[in-house]
Amino acid sequence: MVAPTVKRRRPLTPYLLIAPALLFLAAFFGYPMVQGLILAVYDDEAVLPLLSDPGIEADSVGTLPQGTGLTVLDQRANLIEDEITSDLLTEDWFRVSALDNNDQTVEGWAPETRIRIREEAEDGTPLAGTVRTKLAAGADPQTTLFAEASESADVAAKLDARTRVRIEEIATLELWFLVTPQADETEVDQSLEGWAPSRFIQVFGEGENGRIDRGTDGEFTWRFVEKMTEDRFFGPAWRTTLLLMVLILPIQFVLATLMALIIHARLKATSIFLYIYSIPMGMSDLAVGILFFSLFTGNGFINSFLEGIGVLDGPKSFLSADTRNWIIAAIVLAELWRATSIVMVIIVSGLQAIPDETLEAAELFGASYWQRVRHIMLPLLRPSIQVALILRTILAFQVFAVVIALGGGEVVTVLANETYRQYFTLRNTNVASAYAVFILLLSIASAFFYLRAVRTQDELSKT
Amino acid sequence: MAEIRIEGVSKLFGDNYAVRDANLTIRDQEFLVLLGPSGCGKTTLLRAVAGLGMADAGQILIDGRDVTYLPPGERKISMVFQSYAIFPHMTVRDNIGFGLRMNKTPKAEITRRVDEAAELLHIEDLLERRPSDMSGGQRQRVAVARALAMQAQVLLMDEPLSNLDALLRLEMRAELKRLLSEVQATTIYVTHDQIEALSMGDRIAVMRDGVIQQCDQPSTVYSEPANQFVGSFIGNPPMNFIDGTVHGSGGDLVAEFDGNRLAPTAETSQALERLSGAAVRLGIRAENMQTLSEPADGAIEVTVSVVEPLGSQNLLTIDLGGNRLKVSTHPTFSVSPGDRVWLRLPENHVRWIDPETELVVA
Repeated sequence: MVAPTVKRRRPLTPYLLIAPALLFLAAFFGYPMVQGLILAVYDDEAVLPLLSDPGIEADSVGTLPQGTGLTVLDQRANLIEDEITSDLLTEDWFRVSALDNNDQTVEGWAPETRIRIREEAEDGTPLAGTVRTKLAAGADPQTTLFAEASESADVAAKLDARTRVRIEEIATLELWFLVTPQADETEVDQSLEGWAPSRFIQVFGEGENGRIDRGTDGEFTWRFVEKMTEDRFFGPAWRTTLLLMVLILPIQFVLATLMALIIHARLKATSIFLYIYSIPMGMSDLAVGILFFSLFTGNGFINSFLEGIGVLDGPKSFLSADTRNWIIAAIVLAELWRATSIVMVIIVSGLQAIPDETLEAAELFGASYWQRVRHIMLPLLRPSIQVALILRTILAFQVFAVVIALGGGEVVTVLANETYRQYFTLRNTNVASAYAVFILLLSIASAFFYLRAVRTQDELSKT
Repeated sequence: MAEIRIEGVSKLFGDNYAVRDANLTIRDQEFLVLLGPSGCGKTTLLRAVAGLGMADAGQILIDGRDVTYLPPGERKISMVFQSYAIFPHMTVRDNIGFGLRMNKTPKAEITRRVDEAAELLHIEDLLERRPSDMSGGQRQRVAVARALAMQAQVLLMDEPLSNLDALLRLEMRAELKRLLSEVQATTIYVTHDQIEALSMGDRIAVMRDGVIQQCDQPSTVYSEPANQFVGSFIGNPPMNFIDGTVHGSGGDLVAEFDGNRLAPTAETSQALERLSGAAVRLGIRAENMQTLSEPADGAIEVTVSVVEPLGSQNLLTIDLGGNRLKVSTHPTFSVSPGDRVWLRLPENHVRWIDPETELVVA
């Protein structure tokens, strides 16, 4: 065996060329899509873990879902161990020094509520104060100083009311609540009892009741999907989307094929048809919607025409809340006008890929024009029709601007419009994502369906 | 009975004549080859007969019926295309039976004739396959079978072998010849390959620039070309041409070239007489010259510049007064470049060409 002296090299350049594209895809396509998918089925504030002790390092005793009604059993101020955010309930504690009633100098922590500030620095920093009097009957008249800024810390000293103190240091503490689910929260573990910081809990009234404002742990949930399917516009939206597709696509494909055949016939001046047919491709869908809206309005072309030939006595209002069918018809017309040419272009290119000799052979062996269309052209156009079907179906699931322009999005609504409404009007990102994912799944399913139903690869790969 | 008559057919592409005033009569069951270099109009003429590119002038009759402007499907013809034009989405069986189905032939009849055609081409076991996974040779057979299944009286073939490799072409050539003698159709066969033309055709029509130059039996076209073009196009190596002049008249008429003299045969000297005193061009085929290693009476002394041993012959290249001659010799004739040899031009093999018109005068 003789080994070659030069190693076989794989060409690297194609991979280098494709690398930016892959990065681009990952950054601007893969990532947002995955995020969108996650938004639809994942609630990142779904549950709040309750802790065994007031402190973020304590063990979790169990979780409660967002929105659970709570009974507050106790509260405790605690040093803030992470960043202060605006939704914290805080309590300031002072480290004070004073002479106790034995004339001993003592030092310890006391909550802000126990000290009346008597002296402040220019910037408002409290410097000195007096211990407040306890008003509650039967309470210990003395105020406790703790070794640390926590009521669970050791007792450092006790001061009489009105003792003068110097404020040495101030600490801001967050309130923690010991909570348990309210009795009417039947879907959660009633025996659960634990601590949670104030930032996640809304407390009402006198501080006895509250509810979980937001959780810290995410959870996969069908909640948004359910919210979408239970939405009263969901049914109309997907039914209308499908209805439009069923009305538009067959007409569109027949029209596009006829147009393509006209161009392919290469009669004199047929190239002008190609230009005429292509005009709508250059127009935005919203512009087309507005154009057709102007045709159908009270003093639009259609009304003027019908009045002119005497069919109507006065303007008919085609696009109003009680003329749903007219709106659908106008949308169908606009979509046919707008998107048939793209199908046609695909079919024309498919026709041009059929060798002339193949068609001549069919003609020579006695096939009439329509026989050639049926037995030769249409079968050989299957790959093109497949591409056009996938493209058009996906675009039909996304139909939006024409619907908005012609129907306003209330009487006739479609899936894309509901996505928009959820996201923009209702500010419900997760449900909007659920709609978007629904459209995506429908698109993928239809593409797979066409790839299976219009199978072409095996028989036409080599011709 | 299907005699094809092409009368005064012309076809224009823009302002250019692709075919100009073509006149041909192809007898029933005859095998006519249209031969010519690419762009000579042979395919255009065939397509006019097929109805795929209607003639601009003239008339085409098949079996006495004027088909000039009939659509192809109504001409009762069949055709094999250069690219085979097999329908890629149909099985071989459907391909072969396509024409019959279009003509609403009964199903049993279609099956019978498809099987028959497939058998003729030895593709019975390919019938249920699709063309996409077949070789070029197999597709070619399908194309021929499809044409034969029609059992049309007229069969048109547009360079059917040109897409095959050399060995397959050789094999298919013989097979096609056998088939066509069996099916008894009047055949027009277009090719640019003179070997195909010579070996297959009953007659060959040589075309150039849209004009039919000569139409005759292969042997006649080969040995008695009507003009310089036919002589130079047919034959490998092509006919040699030597420029000279003619002098004298009657029995004294003699051609002179490069200091050598050659007297034509008695019949030809009459025809040459009108050129007397003017230029003439001698045409002679490589294998018709005698090469001698010794001087002999009437032999011209020349120097060999190239020797090409081709197995069955040795091909010599010889310069003769500015004319480059190809001379074939027996492979045993031993000669090296630079050697002197003596050439004898047998006058009965010499064709005399008028250099003005390039027509063979005798």
